[in-house]
Amino acid sequence: MTEAKKEKFIVPIGPQHPALKEPGNFEFTVDGEIVTDAAVRLGFVHRGIEKACENRNYTQDLYLLERVCGICSHVHATAFVLGVEKLAGVQAPPRAEAIRVLAAELERIHSHLLWFGVAAHEAGFDTLFMYTWRDREVVMDILETLSGSRVHYSVNILGGVKIDVDQKLSDLIKKDMDFLEERTEYYMKVVTTDDTFLGRTRGIGTLSKDRAKLLGAVGPTARASGVKRDIRVNAPYSGYKEFPVKMVIDQTGDLEARFVVRLKELYESYRLIREILEKIQPGEITTRIKRKIPEGEVISRVEAPRGELFYYIKSNGTEMPDRVKVRTPSLCNWGTITDVAVGHKLADMPMLLAGIDPCFSCNDRMVEIRSDSQPSQMMNWDGLRKYGIEYYR
Amino acid sequence: METIKFLESGKVILEKWIERSRTTDENRLDIWISTENLKPAVQSLVENHWGYLITITGLDIPAVYDQDNIEIQPGQLEALYHFANDADIITIRVKVPYSKPQIDSICDIIPSATIYEREVIELFGFDLLNTPNTEKLILPDSWPEGVYPLRKSFTHLQDLETSKKEQSND
Repeated sequence: MTEAKKEKFIVPIGPQHPALKEPGNFEFTVDGEIVTDAAVRLGFVHRGIEKACENRNYTQDLYLLERVCGICSHVHATAFVLGVEKLAGVQAPPRAEAIRVLAAELERIHSHLLWFGVAAHEAGFDTLFMYTWRDREVVMDILETLSGSRVHYSVNILGGVKIDVDQKLSDLIKKDMDFLEERTEYYMKVVTTDDTFLGRTRGIGTLSKDRAKLLGAVGPTARASGVKRDIRVNAPYSGYKEFPVKMVIDQTGDLEARFVVRLKELYESYRLIREILEKIQPGEITTRIKRKIPEGEVISRVEAPRGELFYYIKSNGTEMPDRVKVRTPSLCNWGTITDVAVGHKLADMPMLLAGIDPCFSCNDRMVEIRSDSQPSQMMNWDGLRKYGIEYYR
Repeated sequence: METIKFLESGKVILEKWIERSRTTDENRLDIWISTENLKPAVQSLVENHWGYLITITGLDIPAVYDQDNIEIQPGQLEALYHFANDADIITIRVKVPYSKPQIDSICDIIPSATIYEREVIELFGFDLLNTPNTEKLILPDSWPEGVYPLRKSFTHLQDLETSKKEQSND
């Protein structure tokens, strides 16, 4: 037993990568080319936001929590305001709720396109990466025109929203949605027909429905394995009650399915944005809310681009919350990686990791099993990526 | 309609362990159970396919003192196990004292719970019996032992550094 253990060969990657933009440390135990064990060590950018929330008032917390993530900032703020509004017994006006959904779907488009580009890059398909990121700029421009900011849009305030859409902007967004829809058609074609790409995705990293459920997968990762988990549908919140979405499900569970599910979700987002812009009713966008929030506990769940985002807020009747607990979707999906990686080639790892759309700043809380043998060879992320591309050349 | 059905079926599954329950929202049920019943309760939820574990939330309930500074209620920790079934959420709550913050690990029933358990161990100082991994999850490797940042008594590490210096000066 000990003999065999000593023979293990570990390839450590990170935590500082020249290629991957966020810090994470991976250790893959390999037997020849096949991965036999996988470990992740995160926590390199942990900032203690939950603790910081307890020393700030609700308005300050809103802006702090929006900064949990630079990709899905809006959903964090939405989850928080919905919770606080529930505690305060305040209902945001319908127009505000619709604008919240509008911003959330725009954010989903930008997040999915960003992920798609990164995944294409990991596959060595840099042309596709350039295309998607160029197209993503269209959404970023909309967000900037809408809110004045590309990243932290700060659409939400307690009791409503602080931005509004006029006819001119609405026309612009609709035109852009048409353009993006056309582009997405093209991406769908690439993802489902391009041989080189399929070689990296079809039948790779298959996660069965039962495993996905057991491992607690959420979001597109779960839906690509046929698990019906989408908070927008399971427990409609905010404007999703008025503007329902269709859940995108795929039964295959491999990497290709994760691509297809996310691309199909883009279509759904385009459709929903058009519907909102057409049906949105004129009216107020804010209501008054007291600074002191009544004592109580609330759970607020929203569907972030990566899956279910969970907030637990406990109020003690003052201006500051007693406890804010955040559970981000990436955290749940890491568990699937360490499970799925085993038995695959080392060359498949970059794509598998990209497949769950990991967001480090989003949670940065996760570690897995580490085997106690010595690291024998260092490889950085860039090296691993190149290795993967060369392997499949 | 469905909401009530799910919550009720969940309540039936957990009935024999419930010490106290509360419904704060139409889709929520909070139940308090004693620590030793946690595992069987979770087991029966899983066996009956009632939803999935969202996360474990830790809460710190600091000790209460009267005006003469005598402890009238010792400090406690509370762990909240949130289970979701569609829109419905059942929260299983267990309370343990600071002096013996022991809870059975549920990782053999739900393997993915390991990250949540490690989180509450590190940030609150729970003692999870038989949890498969107790390595550092969030905090740096150099974080001092026995300091739990999410307890109310913790303010910031600066205090620790200065108190260490004071100690070494003594």
